[in-house]
Amino acid sequence: MTGGYGPGPFARTLAWMAVIYLVLPITIVIPVSFTDQRFLSLPRDGLSLRHYENLITSAPWLSAIGQSAMIAVVSTLLAVIAGTLCAIGCWRIGNRTTEWLRALMLLPLIIPSIVYAVGLYRYFGALDLLGTFLGVVLAHGVTGIPYVVITVSAALSSFDPRLEQAARGMGASLSQTLRWVILPRIAPGIASGAIFAFIHSWDELVMVLFIASRSIVTLPRKIWDGINENADPTMAVVAVLLIVLTLSLLLLDGALRKRRDA
Amino acid sequence: MSQAHALSLVGLTKRYGSFTAVNDVSLDVAQGQFLTLLGPSGSGKTTILMAIAGFVAPSAGAILLDGREITPLPPEKRDFGMVFQGYALFPHMTVAENLAFPLRVRGMERAERDTKIRATLDLVQLSQFAERRPSQLSGGQQQRVALARALVFEPNLLLLDEPLSALDKKLRAELQDELKTLHRRIGRTFINVTHDQEEAMSLSDTVAILNHGKLIQIGAPDALYDRPRTRFVAGFLGKSNMISGRIAERIGATARVSVGATTLTQRLATGATGDTVLLSLRPERIALLGDGETAENMVEGHVSAWSYLGAGHSLTVETTDLGSLRLTLPTWRAPFAPAEGLTLRLGWPSDAAAPVEDDGDE
Repeated sequence: MTGGYGPGPFARTLAWMAVIYLVLPITIVIPVSFTDQRFLSLPRDGLSLRHYENLITSAPWLSAIGQSAMIAVVSTLLAVIAGTLCAIGCWRIGNRTTEWLRALMLLPLIIPSIVYAVGLYRYFGALDLLGTFLGVVLAHGVTGIPYVVITVSAALSSFDPRLEQAARGMGASLSQTLRWVILPRIAPGIASGAIFAFIHSWDELVMVLFIASRSIVTLPRKIWDGINENADPTMAVVAVLLIVLTLSLLLLDGALRKRRDA
Repeated sequence: MSQAHALSLVGLTKRYGSFTAVNDVSLDVAQGQFLTLLGPSGSGKTTILMAIAGFVAPSAGAILLDGREITPLPPEKRDFGMVFQGYALFPHMTVAENLAFPLRVRGMERAERDTKIRATLDLVQLSQFAERRPSQLSGGQQQRVALARALVFEPNLLLLDEPLSALDKKLRAELQDELKTLHRRIGRTFINVTHDQEEAMSLSDTVAILNHGKLIQIGAPDALYDRPRTRFVAGFLGKSNMISGRIAERIGATARVSVGATTLTQRLATGATGDTVLLSLRPERIALLGDGETAENMVEGHVSAWSYLGAGHSLTVETTDLGSLRLTLPTWRAPFAPAEGLTLRLGWPSDAAAPVEDDGDE
């Protein structure tokens, strides 16, 4: 919309207040991460990079970053493969049952994660998955599926089904059609889904608290423990890194969408 | 490139629940023929094409290629080229990659592929656009790419689903000519679907007219136009005046047909005295009679509407017994400036009108 009337002073003020309300708690960690104090606080005598230094030299923090990254990558892979296949399958069959199935796949998004975590805790115990890497990957992967199903379904809804017919008509098998026609067309949707699934795993805490016991310490888990034990400003540094990573992934997603729409 | 194939449909039927989209259609397409399936929307023409292509499984009947049944084969096993409505070009591939697709699927070597692609692009005069993407081409160019992609793998048959419907009128006429030339040059069997009767008549060797899922009439365009079998065919292929009368008397191959108080002389092969007949009289077969001129059939009427069409005039003349008759006159033969209410004498020979079956469809 261009050329319309601008908003009035009241609407403008309200909008900016909302923005500040949303952004301020996130940005407050940035000055905190540069504090020269030994505890979580704003800088007093000057800015310092000591907590950044502490982060990159601290084995427990680096191990948490490594574990989080590993879990996020593997669970994203799981979510992308399962979610993409589910979305393509539902799209190809396209009847009432698949509509229900697609709605069912969104459940992990709708149900509070603490409910989900309690359920996982119960039956992961029986499967001996508590406190294992595999357990966390499965939990994050499965709860990441909805993001992929949503973005891939959206990409497929703008896919011209005649392209598939054309490919089949020219002699392409189903797998050739999938590899050369369908997947390249929906790749931006898959990438978006992967980014969201990654972010989901990267900052998920509730399920990890329930099922990971002491052996798996992801980054959010480490921050959580840090808050409870000692208010180490390194947490602010980690928070800044999380924000930077998440923001750059979102920007990447935006860029991919722009390219797809072009 | 001249391995043309013949195709036959035997009792082809497609039902969707209680709705019959295609009802017992049988027809033969000879080698190298250009057949057009013509009908209004919902006539089943596209369903037939999709069944030939293998995208729709018939409920009954068979599809034969050179006498060999192909009904159970999936589309990828039929080796038919197809130009889709809206072209269905792959937007993420260049023109050359689009053409390479069917060849890659067949596992052809790159060098051989490139030769074929170049030759086919030359055929449709698009060589300089090989590296463009479909979105960078005009509608007419996209249409030619779709055609090239359907031909590059030397398919058994070429199927065309309303190939020209997305183009404007002028471009359509141009591409019609191109398509016709292409068909003659490569000598393959083409099967086309359209709802545009002019396109059907100008392109095809044979036109099959469909309505409500049934094959109404099949034949050469001029045969269909001059001798429509039913009222529907007469009305769908161009304009026609419908005259309903009763046979009053037979004299050899002609009959005296009375319509109200008027008696017409009409060439008529069948029908006995007392039978009702429906005649289809094309507007251009009606002549304007000057003073003293006579014809086998003559009626008088007054002009109720007229329009100037550039190349000719279209007149509607109200008559007492035959209702309103529409006629077209070439401008150079219209000896007057038409005006409403003008009284005219019209005439036509006994073989101008064609008897048609009344199938209740306009």
